[in-house]
Amino acid sequence: MVQAVLKATSSLDSQRHARMEVLKEKVEEEEAAEREEAAERAERGEKTKRPMEVRRGETTMTQEMLRDLERKLSEIEVSVPEKILTFTKDTIDTSKLPLSYQSNTLKEEHLLQVADNFSRQYSHLCPDRVPLFLHPLNECEVPKFVSTTIRPTLMPYPELYNWDTCAQFISDFLSMVPLPDPLKPPLYLYSSTTVLKYQKGNCFDFSTLLCSMLIGAGYDAYCVNGYGSRDLCYMDLTREVCPLTMKPKETVKEEEKAPPKKYAIKPPRDLTSRFEQEQEMKRQEAIKAEEENRRKQEEARLLEQENAKTDPLHGLRVHSWVLVLSGKREVPESFFIDPFTARSYSTQDDHFLGIESLWNHKNYWVNMQDCWNCCKELVFDLGDPVRWEYLLLGTDKPFLSLTEEEDEGMNDDDDVENLGKEDEDKSFDMPPSWVEQIEISPEAFETRCPNGKKVIQYKRAKLEKWAPYLNNNGLVCRLTTYEDLELHSYKSMQPEMDRVMEFYETARVDGLIKREETPKTMTEYYHGRPDFLSYRHVNFGPRMKKLALNSAESNPRPMVKITERFFRNPAKPADEDVAERVFLIAEERIQLRYHCRSDHITANKREFLRRMEVDSKGNKIIMTPDMCISFEVEPMEHTKKLLYQYEAMMKLKNEEKLSRHQAWESELEVLEILKLREEEEEAHTLTISIYDTKRNEKSKEYREAMERVLHEEHLRQVEAQLDYLAPFLAQLPPGEKLTRWQAVRLKEECLNDFKQRLIDKANLIQARFEKETQELQKKQQWYQENQVTLTPEDEDLYLSYCSQAMFRIRILEQRLSRHKELAPLKYLALEEKLYKDPRLVELLKVFV
Amino acid sequence: MNRLYDMEPRVMDDEMLKLAVGEQGPREEAGQLAKQEGILFKDVLSLQLDFQNILRIDNLWQFESLQKLQLDNNIIEKIEGLENLTHLVWLDLSFNNIEAIEGLDTLVNLEDLSLFNNRISKIDSLDALVKLQVLSLGNNHIGNLMNVIYLRRFKALRTLSLSGNPVAEDEDYKMFICAYLPDLVYLDFRRLDDHMKELAEMKHQYSIDELKHRENLVQARLEDEQARREELEEHKAAFVEQLNGTFLFDSMYTEDVEGSKLSHLPGVGELLEFTYKDKFVIICLNIFEYGLKQQEKRKAELDNFMECVQEAIQENQEQGKLKIAKFEEKHLLSLNAIREESELSNIEAKIVQYSEDITELFNVLMTLEMQLMEQLEETINMFERNIIDLVGLFVENVQSLYPFLEDPLGRHSCLARPWLNSGCTMAQCRDLENHHHEKLLEIAINILEKIVKGEMDEDLPDDVRSLFVDKDTIVNAVGASHDIHLLKIDNREDELVTRVNSWCTHLLDKIHKDEIMRNRKRVKEINQYIDHVQSELDSLECGDLLD
Repeated sequence: MVQAVLKATSSLDSQRHARMEVLKEKVEEEEAAEREEAAERAERGEKTKRPMEVRRGETTMTQEMLRDLERKLSEIEVSVPEKILTFTKDTIDTSKLPLSYQSNTLKEEHLLQVADNFSRQYSHLCPDRVPLFLHPLNECEVPKFVSTTIRPTLMPYPELYNWDTCAQFISDFLSMVPLPDPLKPPLYLYSSTTVLKYQKGNCFDFSTLLCSMLIGAGYDAYCVNGYGSRDLCYMDLTREVCPLTMKPKETVKEEEKAPPKKYAIKPPRDLTSRFEQEQEMKRQEAIKAEEENRRKQEEARLLEQENAKTDPLHGLRVHSWVLVLSGKREVPESFFIDPFTARSYSTQDDHFLGIESLWNHKNYWVNMQDCWNCCKELVFDLGDPVRWEYLLLGTDKPFLSLTEEEDEGMNDDDDVENLGKEDEDKSFDMPPSWVEQIEISPEAFETRCPNGKKVIQYKRAKLEKWAPYLNNNGLVCRLTTYEDLELHSYKSMQPEMDRVMEFYETARVDGLIKREETPKTMTEYYHGRPDFLSYRHVNFGPRMKKLALNSAESNPRPMVKITERFFRNPAKPADEDVAERVFLIAEERIQLRYHCRSDHITANKREFLRRMEVDSKGNKIIMTPDMCISFEVEPMEHTKKLLYQYEAMMKLKNEEKLSRHQAWESELEVLEILKLREEEEEAHTLTISIYDTKRNEKSKEYREAMERVLHEEHLRQVEAQLDYLAPFLAQLPPGEKLTRWQAVRLKEECLNDFKQRLIDKANLIQARFEKETQELQKKQQWYQENQVTLTPEDEDLYLSYCSQAMFRIRILEQRLSRHKELAPLKYLALEEKLYKDPRLVELLKVFV
Repeated sequence: MNRLYDMEPRVMDDEMLKLAVGEQGPREEAGQLAKQEGILFKDVLSLQLDFQNILRIDNLWQFESLQKLQLDNNIIEKIEGLENLTHLVWLDLSFNNIEAIEGLDTLVNLEDLSLFNNRISKIDSLDALVKLQVLSLGNNHIGNLMNVIYLRRFKALRTLSLSGNPVAEDEDYKMFICAYLPDLVYLDFRRLDDHMKELAEMKHQYSIDELKHRENLVQARLEDEQARREELEEHKAAFVEQLNGTFLFDSMYTEDVEGSKLSHLPGVGELLEFTYKDKFVIICLNIFEYGLKQQEKRKAELDNFMECVQEAIQENQEQGKLKIAKFEEKHLLSLNAIREESELSNIEAKIVQYSEDITELFNVLMTLEMQLMEQLEETINMFERNIIDLVGLFVENVQSLYPFLEDPLGRHSCLARPWLNSGCTMAQCRDLENHHHEKLLEIAINILEKIVKGEMDEDLPDDVRSLFVDKDTIVNAVGASHDIHLLKIDNREDELVTRVNSWCTHLLDKIHKDEIMRNRKRVKEINQYIDHVQSELDSLECGDLLD
């Protein structure tokens, strides 16, 4: 029976059969097991169509089958995941689609037959494998071979020339719809034009479109039908780190160690006991190990938290992606592109669990390699017919020479019979794509995402993208990163919150670089100040009084502590140059720390206390030695004097006041900046390029004005060509030549008519004028009669009526006078025009 | 100026000064403090002693830090007693009876000097006042306008007053000053405008140009001299000064009476001039160059050593600072904790804990210092060995005790020292001298023979001829000349060797001493700091006990 089938098909098939036979023979021992499995399957009433399976006497059992079985078994327990939005053909208007969509050409029909034949043989020879995804229905319910759905197109946008930007565009442009059944390839595969129109699709739509564009751009790209991880199938990036947050690895520059100098000091002698060291090391190691252990546990816990429980459908989920083979467009190594996320993966990646088949616009290949270890061991040498079963002969892939003798033998049997057919078959190539030219309008290209908006959830990050000009503040991309996995709100524009502001120090008089705020503190960093201030840290206490409106302006928070640090002032000796001063305002204490001299390791310190103001006898104490505690590295005489200390303290008190004032001013400045920022943020206007004619309002207005002017010009021309004589000429019998008398009469009539019209118009204006005047008079009369009884509202009404009526009257007056002025001119103009009229000129010339 | 003669002249005694200081000291609260403590004269910054009828400036030596001194409206006749007031910036001696400017040579910081209304007739003796900005010499007896040129040396001078002097009567007075002092801004309390300056410059252009030329020449000469001095210093530092010429050779003949006589002999002059002198000078030059090279080497060695020592010290200091900073952080916390603790037993425990911390800090710092000291000692010893080797090599090579031998470190080859091939040692000088001596002797004996034989046709000077009395005389004369030459060479050699050795000894002494000083200072510093911290703790304890 097998032979019969083979004979009916081409010799190609016989070759293929021969190869499959080899495969079969290897595992024939497992027949029994297979039979059992078949029975089991029958019991379950499995839905999968395997037309040839029953007829096939002997079946094979491979490793893959076992996995398949396992897969099938696990499938039973699983409930179908809830349906998310689907993309069905009901929503598509098929009536307007071109003919190629609605029917098949002869060649396509032939191809479908070939494909069917191939499919039959395939399922006959490999009954354990799922049916091939060969010719799904398109939007018009017409079966179309997958390869013809690929329409290689080179896009006119330079941005789409490279694979990464191209994939990114598709991932942005289309919104993802999961497969109706996650375990099977879809029944429908729509044309890319339809997909682009509706901007949504499943993984097959994505990869078909991407493949079309990549092949168009010159890549050696293929659509893959295979199995992917759950994350891949549902475009779930929540377990991925956002690529934008990944920082480029800092290249740690090894500090070049200068060669040890001749007189470099020797390190101090190591006098510690080696035994003790070892013991210590052991102890440290134990502690470390324990810590490591704990850390690992913690990590595992976190990981568990992060990773959802393992997927029960692992390895069964159907996914489609794109394979780019090396060789063309300088691609050094083959890789996968997931069309949903536009990320490239190596062919070894864990997310890709197996490949059934792959195709491009020219051919279709079935994977004959075992996918037990995901895609890690697959060899993408499509010319190798043992690994990749092709559908059509005559691809550009090189064939491997068949070395096995039996292949040759098998071939010989059929050679004679099928010689002619083989030739015919060989010449058969893929019919052109039925899909219309893929086009993306510039607007759509710019808008990118459906509705111009896209949100991607990453692990601890959220990426939002918008089309240009969609947000009136010009926002096009926002990345929010989170510390942990929960959601947060943030308030940055409130005063007295955590905030860091950075400044251009050169643009500021006070040399401020950075101001950091927390609810209780404010830290400022300075550079390049004449007083050498480098740092000021202010601690705030709670507000004294609770006011309804607390702000730095009306009710400033009390300052508890001000810490100021200074750079070294080279003009002063180090031990008189203050390095840090701390005003403990609440404790009335001032601490000073001086800079350290270059040959010292300790620095001067001084602390002033101002607590006791009155001594036991009630006398005011000005200064006592215990009010100033100082440590001096090299004691000096003059600093011991109370007078010196008193003067220093007085100076410090003034400076404290100044510092407080400056801190207060800083707070005010923060408020001011925040206010300004808010205003700025509210009042955004995007500057639009003058070449952007669609968005630039000004140029649009200008263009419209130009159009209007043109239109008016046109109208005027039409008017100018208005034929005054036409109605009068129409009264005369057509086709006859005018007599002079007729011509004169015609002219007279025309002029009279015009005169009459002018008079009528004047009368009309006059009549209206009189009517208005009368009405006004009436109204006035009425008003005078009823003036006493009128309510203020009525009076208002009356007054407004009056002013309006007066306005109308005035206008009518003006129009009348203008009409009177213009009427004779118009009359004369018409007369002159009539004299010059080519139809009358001959006749009137003599008359004149 | 005689207005105060009716009063008794007063003496500047302690009482007067004290009174003035007290009156002019701080006011109010600060004043009370000052009174309470008393003010030391050496802390006073400003002193006003006008209308005191002082005749003689005296008793001011204690006011070391005085910056402003007013002695106007007295009857002082001589500027004196101001030598100690080196910080003085402002000095007012107006309305006195001073006749000459003097006694200001130590006041290098003086910026403002007023000698208004005195009897000065000449501007001079102000050379030390390099920062002078304001000079008031009005109402004096200065009569020579050319005297103003003296003021050209004060580059910072901006204000000058000379009104009321005889010179101010000169019609060219203003122009002249403008022209000769172009940087002046105010003359007699009036601003000099640019137009005026231009006019003045044009008027006196020729004389000023000449003056400038002369000044430039002087300046150039000074610079030249300076450069030469520096070069000589450099050579001296290399111990080979004046070996780069004929100096040594010439000095050999300056005291050599016989030698100069002998040089008149026929053939000797050529020998001296063309063979001997040239060779000798070349050898000297070689020694000179070798000396400079060696000096560079020694300098590099010393710099390297100093750099390493500095680095080591710096690193050690950083460590110490880090330790102290850490301690201080803790220290503040523990002090506060002790202050706030109410339980007595806890306080004691904390105090004990704190004392232990202090002791530990002390130990750590001292260990660091000890470590550094040991390390430095080792390094210094190594340097000492190397530098002594270097000096030894230099001396040996110059003396040529081991002629043409490589230095012990074996770093050089003969190719790298081409001067050795042509000779560069004192020994070679001596050889040359010996050779010359032999030749000279030969010539002398030849001539003697000729004279004895009466074949001598050339005419010899009498004093030369007197040498050729007999063989002994001439041999003695030649020998004496030779001895003198050798002595000179020996002296030069000895000088070089002694100086280089003493330099080495001094250097090493200084390094050792500096290190000891550094160590002592650091130990003192550590002790002081620890004492301070400890005393803070003690005072806290006392306070607690009192509470």
